[in-house]
Amino acid sequence: MKNNKLITLGIESSCDETSAAVLLGGREVLSDVIASQIKVHQVFGGVVPEIASRHHLNNINPVIDSALKEAGITLRDVDLIGVTYGPGLVGALLIGLATAKSMAYALKKPLVGVHHIQGHISANYIEHKELEPPFLALVVSGGHTNIVNVSDYNHFEVLGRTRDDAAGEAFDKVARVLGLGYPGGPLIDKAAKEGNPHAVEFKRVFLEKDSLDFSFSGIKTGVLNYLNTQKLKGLQANVNDTAASFQLAVMEVITAKTIMAAERMNKDKVVVAGGVAANSLLRQMLKEECDRKGLALYFPSPILCTDNAAMIGCAAYYKYQSGQEDDYYLDAYPNLAL
Amino acid sequence: MNILAIETTGAEASVALINENEEVFMEASDQKMNHLQNLMPMVDILLKKRELTINDIAYMAVSEGPGSFTGIRIGVASARALAQALEIDTISVPTLQSFLYHVPDYRGIICPIFDAKRDQVYGGAFQWICEEDAKETVNCVSDRGKDQHSYREVVTGGAYDLPQLLMQLRAALLTESSRTTASEVTFFGDGIMPYKKQIEEWQKESSNDNIRILFAENDCRFQKASSVARLALQLLRDGRVKNYNDLKPVYMRKAEAERRLEEKS
Repeated sequence: MKNNKLITLGIESSCDETSAAVLLGGREVLSDVIASQIKVHQVFGGVVPEIASRHHLNNINPVIDSALKEAGITLRDVDLIGVTYGPGLVGALLIGLATAKSMAYALKKPLVGVHHIQGHISANYIEHKELEPPFLALVVSGGHTNIVNVSDYNHFEVLGRTRDDAAGEAFDKVARVLGLGYPGGPLIDKAAKEGNPHAVEFKRVFLEKDSLDFSFSGIKTGVLNYLNTQKLKGLQANVNDTAASFQLAVMEVITAKTIMAAERMNKDKVVVAGGVAANSLLRQMLKEECDRKGLALYFPSPILCTDNAAMIGCAAYYKYQSGQEDDYYLDAYPNLAL
Repeated sequence: MNILAIETTGAEASVALINENEEVFMEASDQKMNHLQNLMPMVDILLKKRELTINDIAYMAVSEGPGSFTGIRIGVASARALAQALEIDTISVPTLQSFLYHVPDYRGIICPIFDAKRDQVYGGAFQWICEEDAKETVNCVSDRGKDQHSYREVVTGGAYDLPQLLMQLRAALLTESSRTTASEVTFFGDGIMPYKKQIEEWQKESSNDNIRILFAENDCRFQKASSVARLALQLLRDGRVKNYNDLKPVYMRKAEAERRLEEKS
């Protein structure tokens, strides 16, 4: 406790970021240390689970030490430990979980398992101190594409989800075939700035009328087909134009469905989270649409869009405040539902 | 002084306590591959039975590998975090060598083998050293007084194709045939199941007729935290303690993707 506020240690290791953070109360971040493995996985063109797990194990304790040091506290000052318990790579998740459980046991402090998506949504509470539920949330990342009705800090209803690839996954795959490298999100965003988004009309996949679900595997195939057709014609496809056209096709669908969901659920606030929330076109398009419809729009800053432990600590705090706590049998759930 | 030892490298997890009087207490799970869920509750039960708390632990010991990659990581991550939170040091215990403590009075050679998939085993061969043999120590934990246990490494631990491991074992046995008339080797580990036949056939080969082979019974065949704890105490007496950040898993094999990448380049 400090100034009568709980001190929360958050731990995140669901994919390729090892992170630990210290929070004072629910929203004041004293430290948020992230050890990224992007460079490690770049040579493989994507995250390799076994290698990610090995790095998480090497990184986790020094990352926790740094987070404590930066926050100016020791482990004994911690009142609550929050940790991601799913969804994610099971081998990666269990490093954070084994660590959090052991520490909670040794320190005799409460343990709270956090759903990764709830964490992403909570990143907005850190960024926008005045933000409170209810609102409509769009969570877009390398592993997730969800439209969520957030009625309370701990009550979620998934209104729409991807039926195949996550948005960020489609970005990674298209970046690979365009020869842009890994990770795809920021690379396509950058290339698209130099390209004509109307150069190629990729099919916008809206699925059934009124559906809030997504499908991105088709557009990935569309890009591949386009590149092959150009090749057969003896033409070199323009990478920037292709990236810009692909990006526009994806973001048009995401924006339209998000606005549709907000109107359907009668929400006046739209909250965006996840790695793809850092995409500049998505930000711009949602801003324009929300302004037009009179909806308030919330984004976390780019660093809070990536996987980080501050958002996990924040979510753990609100779960704990509502009386939720886990025991030492807490397990990892790679396909955990929200 | 208590050491808490964690063993999660095999199918069944266990935890054990050892004190300076070499009294050992163990708690084991019979659930297969459910280490993440069961480990801390098991530690809690073990401590409560002895009327101890986690704050009575002076050192964290862990079975470092080889074995299941995931299992190793659960053990090492837990040991590191407990040590970090309790501000104590750790002891890294070689999993293969810990099998010596399954049979502390055995004079033969022990050969633990774990199924490593891809037609390989993680294995090694070790033997307790009798006092009179102590001068010929090849590789021993301790060279202190004769009350100390010491062992020699007959075949270094590693990932092997089984024939390669058996060849090294035979070579080691031949060089010492002058000293021992007949050699006895007892196999341990989950590698017995898939490789028992192959080992028995190897024994029948003409050059191996003075090698006697045995397979450990089921109740003594697999990894046990009690043996990890006993070896940990020995390592502690030899001053082999580490900061939690230096406690590292011993996989004995690269990640598959890494291996393939190296093959390509």
